[in-house]
Amino acid sequence: MSNYWHSILEKIFLTVTAFPRLMILIGIAVIIATGSFIPGITKDTSAESFLSPDEPTLIYRNKIKEQFGLKDPMVIAVFRESATGVFNPDTLQLVSWLTDEVAAMPGIDPETITSLATEDNIVASDDGMLIESFFDHHPLSLDEVDSIRENVMDLPLYVGNLVAKDASATLIIAEVIDEKNADDIYEGLMRLVDRAPINAGETIHVAGPGAVSGYLSSYIDKDAMVLFPVTGVLVTLVIFLAYLSWRFVMLSTLILLGTVAVALGTMVGMGVPFYVISNALPVALVAIAVADSIHIMGQYYQEQEKNPAATQQRLVVDTMLNMWRPVTFTSLTTIAGFLGIYFSSLMPPMEAIGLYCAIGVAAALFYSLFVFPAGLMILQPRRKRASTKLSENNSAGSDWMSRRLASLGIFVARKSALILGVAASFTVLAVGAALFLKVDEAWISNFKEKEPIYIADTAINAKMDGTYYLDIVVEAPEIDGLLEPSALENIALLQEFLESSANIQGSTSIVDYIKQMNKSINGGDESAYVIPNNSDLIAQYFLLYSASGSPTEFNDKVDYDYRVAVVRANLNTGYYSDNKEVVEKIKRYITTEFESNSELKATMSGQVTVNNEWISELAASHFQGLALALFAIWVIASVSFRSTVAGLYTVLPVGLSVLLVYAVMAMSGIWLGVGTSMFAAIAVGVGVDFGIHIVDRLKILLQDQQLSFEQAFLKLFSHTGRALFFNFVALFLGFGALMVSEVPPLNRFGILVAVAVLTSFVAAMLIIPAMAKVFRPKFLSAEEKPKKLVATDA
Amino acid sequence: MKGKSKNQSFFSFKRATVVALTALLMVTLNKSFADNSVGSGTLPEGIWIAKKINERDEGISVYRTLKMQMIDHNGKIRERLTNGYRKYFGKEKRTVLFYKSPRNVKGTGFLTIDYPEAEKEDDQWIYLPAMRKVRRISAAARGDYFMGTDFTYDEIKNETKVDISDYTRVTLREEILDGNPAVDCYVVESTPVSNEVAKEIGFSKMLSWVDKDIWMIRKSIYWDLNGNLLKTIRMDDIRKIQGIWTTHKMRVENHKSNHKTVFTFDNVDYGVVVDNSVFNKNTLKRGL
Repeated sequence: MSNYWHSILEKIFLTVTAFPRLMILIGIAVIIATGSFIPGITKDTSAESFLSPDEPTLIYRNKIKEQFGLKDPMVIAVFRESATGVFNPDTLQLVSWLTDEVAAMPGIDPETITSLATEDNIVASDDGMLIESFFDHHPLSLDEVDSIRENVMDLPLYVGNLVAKDASATLIIAEVIDEKNADDIYEGLMRLVDRAPINAGETIHVAGPGAVSGYLSSYIDKDAMVLFPVTGVLVTLVIFLAYLSWRFVMLSTLILLGTVAVALGTMVGMGVPFYVISNALPVALVAIAVADSIHIMGQYYQEQEKNPAATQQRLVVDTMLNMWRPVTFTSLTTIAGFLGIYFSSLMPPMEAIGLYCAIGVAAALFYSLFVFPAGLMILQPRRKRASTKLSENNSAGSDWMSRRLASLGIFVARKSALILGVAASFTVLAVGAALFLKVDEAWISNFKEKEPIYIADTAINAKMDGTYYLDIVVEAPEIDGLLEPSALENIALLQEFLESSANIQGSTSIVDYIKQMNKSINGGDESAYVIPNNSDLIAQYFLLYSASGSPTEFNDKVDYDYRVAVVRANLNTGYYSDNKEVVEKIKRYITTEFESNSELKATMSGQVTVNNEWISELAASHFQGLALALFAIWVIASVSFRSTVAGLYTVLPVGLSVLLVYAVMAMSGIWLGVGTSMFAAIAVGVGVDFGIHIVDRLKILLQDQQLSFEQAFLKLFSHTGRALFFNFVALFLGFGALMVSEVPPLNRFGILVAVAVLTSFVAAMLIIPAMAKVFRPKFLSAEEKPKKLVATDA
Repeated sequence: MKGKSKNQSFFSFKRATVVALTALLMVTLNKSFADNSVGSGTLPEGIWIAKKINERDEGISVYRTLKMQMIDHNGKIRERLTNGYRKYFGKEKRTVLFYKSPRNVKGTGFLTIDYPEAEKEDDQWIYLPAMRKVRRISAAARGDYFMGTDFTYDEIKNETKVDISDYTRVTLREEILDGNPAVDCYVVESTPVSNEVAKEIGFSKMLSWVDKDIWMIRKSIYWDLNGNLLKTIRMDDIRKIQGIWTTHKMRVENHKSNHKTVFTFDNVDYGVVVDNSVFNKNTLKRGL
């Protein structure tokens, strides 16, 4: 650092320490000003919130949802274990009871309810076709129930969709009028299930896409109630244990409050909602923000011991002159890590974490540089125990931890080659394991297996055609084009192909209705379950069906011009890994078989297609974010140390830590998904701090003070190592606190960052000094000392 | 009831017929004390207004053409042209309707016979020209939608009349209803007498604006079984044809689905002489 900059900074810190009360007031004012926005927080827990509103597949899907009036329904499933399944008088009465109760619930559209109690039977009579209820009274006799079973199971439209193929389950499907009320309605349905008159052998589950976002909304509230106090207690404990000083705890708490208030307040002020994974934001910030003050405090005590007679202002200013650089550069690298997520992520919730964590870290830097020293001026903390005083002879702190760390320093100095050999072997093994890393995602994985919604989803998808939809939008070139038998035959072939694909349990389109009507009008003849070869007759069938049908009866299947139709395939799994091949296969079929054989145009949509699209990009955006973060911190470290090699030394430990985490993920079956993909950029941004502090201190010890390796490492480990250790523990426990979250992606994210922090701490402590000794890089040698730099003695 | 379109009442079913018959009986029986039905305040009682509505003449038989426009929530319009007859055979009502366009449904015919006997199922037949066959179809329920429109069978069946015994009526106020021309109306709130009736007809409450001069409903607003706003029906272009007040335009908008239906009547003729064979299922094939 040039004398010019040194004197400028000295003036700044002298000013800050001259008006400590003003600085503290400014700090508190910022907390109040930004924190006042927080009560206006809004939430968005919908599955769509994970997609950028600009995503073309999402835009198309929303257009289709709007055009065909598709909504995300609530699904109530009734299961009955018996030989005849749900076809018995009691269970059918229960279905009627539930249907009536659901219809009477506020917020539910009673006209959209679909169940055995509302649907009609399309049957052949002697001279025509009858459309009538399956049943309209209770109790039913056994003979009546037998006949209902025969009728229902004879209708392909309902089997798998409304009733399980083995008759063990049936669904009641309802749409909500305003999807914003989904959480209240889900709670209402759960209360309804609790008071339902259930008979022996019957179980009821509530699921469906409509239920999920409502469920998540109250889920994350409850989660925050546990998560935030646990994190707060753990981090407070660490900062207390670091220096056994309540004054230090008070000052650190001020920094933490400032960091969280600025980050969340800006987020709310910018109108960004709180997402499912946003609980990670305050937790991560608290763990990160405390680090700077731990390092500054360590330096402050060293200054105190070196110059016991110095004035308080001199002590604080000297501390800050020594610490501003590592504190600033470690904050910049952390910001770079978060910005890596912000710039590379396609998902608004991850962008929000990236951007507002970066803003929070910037706030933490401001508080550490300007408010913390003011606090030191006012509170004037002193080290209580004489035993922590530095011994002039061995240059190691003499408390227990400093002595242990000092021994480790000597070990590293003596066994450098061995350490590097072990590290290299680990690296090779980790690369091998990491090759098995799997990319996957499924919304159901947002819930723990014990949650009612997880159980419901599993049970329904095991018995029914599935609650995961893949839609294919088929367009004819002209109006009424989809009344043409040839076009309908192509749709029938497409459905045949779909139903032969893995995970697709069934499909529905207008073709199914046309076939059923043709069969019924022809006296129920099985051979008439075909598409009639006459487009006028098909048009007349639709008119016939409308004789008593709702005007919106076929809205979700074909448009008013009979030009655009939706073919919906039901899948019984929502996992990306399960469905990616199916999606690719259908894509190929559409381009090579379907469109080349007809004038029809087909476009894939639906939840499964949209998810496939963005999850396939998840891996790319993850590695891009990681590369961006690694490059940015390498640049920052290189600039900071004025050496690209020093930059490499700094980046190496975090590179290894990320590699090791990939290996842990691959071996323990944790996939790269929404929550977990954020770990790498954060781990790099946070973990590099250890490397920066170590290289910074090594430069001082080896280059400026020209100590031997053994002496330098001993000092490094006992002083810097001690601060780094508490820095590491705060991060490890802070991110580890995410383990208590009820949201599994946050558990996985927390544990991965914790493992990465552990690895980068160990790697930085062992590998950087070992490499320094073995390779003796120029940026650490005394001869290379830049002339303009002034010694910043530790 | 809101359906003023005389030619609309082609379909009905047993229960509806019972109700209609009861209504008719009550009108006849109560006619003598209709004049003292005005309530103690300045507003007449709801039941008195309902009876005044049902006293209106709607002719023995009628011929007319009808343009049906169904408009979906995207604004796409499906248009169908029909013509048909309605005729009373004593208390039995027969209606026949033929589609004229679009081309692919041209010639499709519907015949409905509403029997006055409660125990007798109504008959309903359809002729599909593409099959060249007449097929019997099941009678619709009161609350079912009529031919893909936003009107229910109950509304179509009642034409310009109302069910007396199914509702409790309260006259709320007098009001000038905006329109061309603005008309002086009574606003009547009708509530189904029981949950069963409400479920059958598909709504829980209706507000009607009844024209004080000609005793026709000008506008009705409906709420569904959960109290959500359901739909609004408006009657316009009301003119006297052969001495009978006749609606020529009916518009209904479903507020939940944003679906709309517009009925436009033309060539209304109450004096037409209709051959009874028109109402025979075997002659459906011939058309009109």
